[in-house]
Amino acid sequence: MHIDLKKEIEQSHTGKTGLVILLLIIAIAVLAPLLSRYDPNQQTATSLLSPSYSHWLGTNHVGQDIWSQLLYGARTSLLVGFGVGILSLMLSILCGVSAALIGGLYDKIVMRIVDAFIVIPMVVVVLLVAAYIRPDLPVLILLLAALSWQGGARVIRAQSLSLKERGHVNASRTFGASRLYIARRHIVPDLGPILLVELIYGVRRAVFIEAGLAFLGIGDPMLVSWGMMMRDAMKFSYLNVWQWWLVPAGVALSLTIIGLTFISHAAESVLDPRLRGEAVA
Amino acid sequence: MLSKRSVITYAIAFVLILLLNFLLPRMMPGDPLMAIYGDEAMIAMTPDLKASLVERFALDRSLWQQFGAYIATLFRGDMGYSYYYNAPVFKVILGSLPWTLLVVGTSLVLSTLLGIVLGIESGWRRGSKTDRAMLAGLMSLNGFPDFFLGLVLLIVFGVLLGIAPLSGALTPYAGLSGLALILDILKHMALPVAALTLAHLAGGYLLTRNTMITVLKAPFMLTARAKGLSQKVLKYRHAGRNSMLPVLTMTGIWLGRVVTGALFVELVFAYPGVGQLTYQALLSRDYPVIQGVFLMVAISVLVVNFAVDLLYPKLDPRVSYAY
Repeated sequence: MHIDLKKEIEQSHTGKTGLVILLLIIAIAVLAPLLSRYDPNQQTATSLLSPSYSHWLGTNHVGQDIWSQLLYGARTSLLVGFGVGILSLMLSILCGVSAALIGGLYDKIVMRIVDAFIVIPMVVVVLLVAAYIRPDLPVLILLLAALSWQGGARVIRAQSLSLKERGHVNASRTFGASRLYIARRHIVPDLGPILLVELIYGVRRAVFIEAGLAFLGIGDPMLVSWGMMMRDAMKFSYLNVWQWWLVPAGVALSLTIIGLTFISHAAESVLDPRLRGEAVA
Repeated sequence: MLSKRSVITYAIAFVLILLLNFLLPRMMPGDPLMAIYGDEAMIAMTPDLKASLVERFALDRSLWQQFGAYIATLFRGDMGYSYYYNAPVFKVILGSLPWTLLVVGTSLVLSTLLGIVLGIESGWRRGSKTDRAMLAGLMSLNGFPDFFLGLVLLIVFGVLLGIAPLSGALTPYAGLSGLALILDILKHMALPVAALTLAHLAGGYLLTRNTMITVLKAPFMLTARAKGLSQKVLKYRHAGRNSMLPVLTMTGIWLGRVVTGALFVELVFAYPGVGQLTYQALLSRDYPVIQGVFLMVAISVLVVNFAVDLLYPKLDPRVSYAY
């Protein structure tokens, strides 16, 4: 595909804004220990403090520093987001490319399973499974990845089907290249931009669901997460603590998702060429 | 006309849902009865009860026979018994279902209609300032998780302005009836519905806008314009009607999203629907209720998807040629 994704994103204002937001969140996640003086899990006797010089956003109901929780929350969100995004993208590639190249009955079976997965509401499945196994971080990542590869598999299969008929792939086949070789050497590299769009979709979905699960209180209680902060802060919404407890966590979460949405919107023109050349906001 | 393909898809999805619900508790380490019935049942457990429960689920027999027994009880309309509420799961869910249906139904209709209208207006003015502002605004709105939107609305309208009730679906012990009752219900559902509608507006909007952009380039639009039709007729009758179609196919998928959104938003407003029920069940490990909710939500989304597939060729005859 002769589309320069980097140019595509840089040329649109939304794409640039999204990229800046995402880089900011990544910087916060990486630099968290430098930007705060407290361990986010450290409980102290001074609970529900208002913001002050020593605690920028005050402390929560068990005396933890909210500012450092906010910073470390970025780590959880991004770790789950990118962990799930990358794993489920790998599953999508595996299923999509193999279905396109092998074809026949195998293709039919894989695609029926993909379709079946698409019509089942995924969050409800995650809720059911999480109710039983109360996942910690690695298990949560595996669980979400196992349940969110289907949409990508479909798009990747469609694109691989068209790539498969290209001249250079045919040429390579006449030279006796195996399916695996063709997939690795010709199909997957050419899928480039689509893979990036699907990755961002996956990351966004996972960030969202992780926060939701933490908000419901399913998941690892030791893991600092924006969803969990909002859940704790909600119980104190009759006090004025929401201003520096609930709102920053919610805004941080929303900003992350908005950043990813902006990037994916700018990159979407790759998937739908009819939208190209549009004066994007 | 319904293709064989989609029938197979729904059959697989249905079996997957049942299998998940069946296998999950039985694969858990420890006592399967505990996993099927939850903590409360273990407190109420007597040897007699235990024997009858083992018998009922055929737990002493092979996995296949257990699955048979599970399916048989389901088809008798028996979704299990919640020892937390001391009532059949079906009854427990039925008690909170109307509230969720009310909120989800209203939000789904409002967000779809509003999304379509905004999408048509935005796509019509493609590239203009209004279009850009709407696009950026709605995409940002899309980033706000529904429960955070709910919390913000709750704080602004409930806590700060004090014009909306803070929780529940009705004013308790008010003994209202008639018009006053309806007004009370509307007042209580306003914020949850607003949160869900705002959070799910962008899907319909973006899809309609994208289709609109494509449709506006179609030759029939040029013809319509050449006939000298008014802007309004062009926009809504010709372009708009065609841009709505893809949105309709997504209804089933969106229902799934709005329902799961409602699970979270109900928690924020302590709205006594299925979400609140699920939350309670998660806290008390009332597994029969969790399983029942999962089954009900998953299958209703499946049914709506199926219905949309059935209806769609009637709305857009072009798709029946596509197969």
